[in-house]
Amino acid sequence: MLNVSLKDQIGSLNLEVSFTVPPSTYVVMLGPSGAGKSHTLKILAGLRKAQQEEIKLQGQDISSLPPEKRNIVYLPQQNTLFPHLNVEENILFAFRARREKVPPNFVREVVDTFRLAPFLKRGVKNLSGGEAQRVALARALCARPKVLLLDEPLASLDFHLKWELLDFLKLLPQRFKLSILHVTHDPWEAAFLAERLLLLEGGKILFEGDFSHFLEKGPGALGQSLKKFFSSEKGAFLRPLWGREHA
Amino acid sequence: MRFFLLLAIFLAFLAFFWILYPLVAIFLDLTGEKLWLTLKDLEVWQSLKISFLAATCAATLGVILGVPAGYLLARGYLPREFCESLLNIPIVIPHVAVGILLLNVLNNNSLLGRLAAPLGLSFVDTFWGLVAAMCFVSFSYVVSAALMGFAAVSEDIELAARTLGASPWFVFRKITAPLIFPYVMRGFILAVARGISEMGAILILAYYPKTASILLYERFENYGLSEVEAITALIVCVSLFLFALLTYFTPKAGRNA
Repeated sequence: MLNVSLKDQIGSLNLEVSFTVPPSTYVVMLGPSGAGKSHTLKILAGLRKAQQEEIKLQGQDISSLPPEKRNIVYLPQQNTLFPHLNVEENILFAFRARREKVPPNFVREVVDTFRLAPFLKRGVKNLSGGEAQRVALARALCARPKVLLLDEPLASLDFHLKWELLDFLKLLPQRFKLSILHVTHDPWEAAFLAERLLLLEGGKILFEGDFSHFLEKGPGALGQSLKKFFSSEKGAFLRPLWGREHA
Repeated sequence: MRFFLLLAIFLAFLAFFWILYPLVAIFLDLTGEKLWLTLKDLEVWQSLKISFLAATCAATLGVILGVPAGYLLARGYLPREFCESLLNIPIVIPHVAVGILLLNVLNNNSLLGRLAAPLGLSFVDTFWGLVAAMCFVSFSYVVSAALMGFAAVSEDIELAARTLGASPWFVFRKITAPLIFPYVMRGFILAVARGISEMGAILILAYYPKTASILLYERFENYGLSEVEAITALIVCVSLFLFALLTYFTPKAGRNA
């Protein structure tokens, strides 16, 4: 369980949020650009300092710990694979960094989950966008984090790759016993993935709950427009999206 | 359209010809006897050795001082435009004037000269004078190269590595350093090449020990053109070797994230 309470100033935006990420749960933070989503993730990962912050992971205050000691892995929006290492070396990076022995069964499970076996020895510069994102996710999982922070992980992918990755992402919390906090401005991603939804607008959490309740309540400008859309005839056929069982 | 294309090809050919013709001509004019005499001339080899050693020392000093500066500039810790302008000053000042500037602050009675004396260092007509002059004129190449290297390594890559459990030192060793290496190497080779070719500042600050450029100038003054063709050819060979190294270490576009 991750408990977060923080206050910060980003330019003219006054960020003030408190929320919880339950264990082994897929949480999506939905909000328009400039709402403070990425900034919040960087604070949680220890890459930025907030004016006031209280971050507790399983009851332990981790606010003062450096990023490498937090057990929280951050995956930025851009491709951050290490270009001078091949796929396998990228995946095993966390073990090398911590001087840990590589657990072969765990690594095999990660490799199988993301179907990476055919190109383990390939240079990462020769990967497609979807393959690169799968390698980045595998690398993040090999650090065995308690919480995985995903910053718009699907933003740069085309439609069919996005759908392929959505399926991968959805099964991760249960299979690898970790929580995911996924930041996006795309309501469809949120509808498909969120077991729990946070709506962030203007630096404030306007809603915390599941997607159905979000549509019922329709909080904030985004909530209102989505409520209107899904109530219409056009949006009706998309409603089964968030009714799907999580793997 | 066709006319302009042909004109452009002709002008481009002239430009390349103007670079290549003098280089080729020096080898065509060379006789075997002159080359043999030059190859046996110990003073020539000594001057080449001094040029190469002093330029390498200056470039190494440039890397030690320039890589941290490149990092601070690329990551926005220092005002980039101002510092880049400052670094380009040695390139725009005539090099004889650079020699006079350096002689003014490094002569034996100057503040720096007196501070260096107890360490056994003197700069006027010494090897360390050569290093100081070469470092002054080549430092900006190393800083610019390091800056380009650090700018090419996204900060997000380093931050992502931190959250994967890597300490800042591990990130530098295993991620940042290998990625900036081709850039720093390129800056280093450029600085060595620039140091070897320097003459104006050296002429004023440290005429002795004689570098290859000074020896070439001296022999030309005393004996004329035909006596320096072989030394010139040797220096051109050294420069072409450095150029080949430079090409090898030039980072390819999009090679690093």
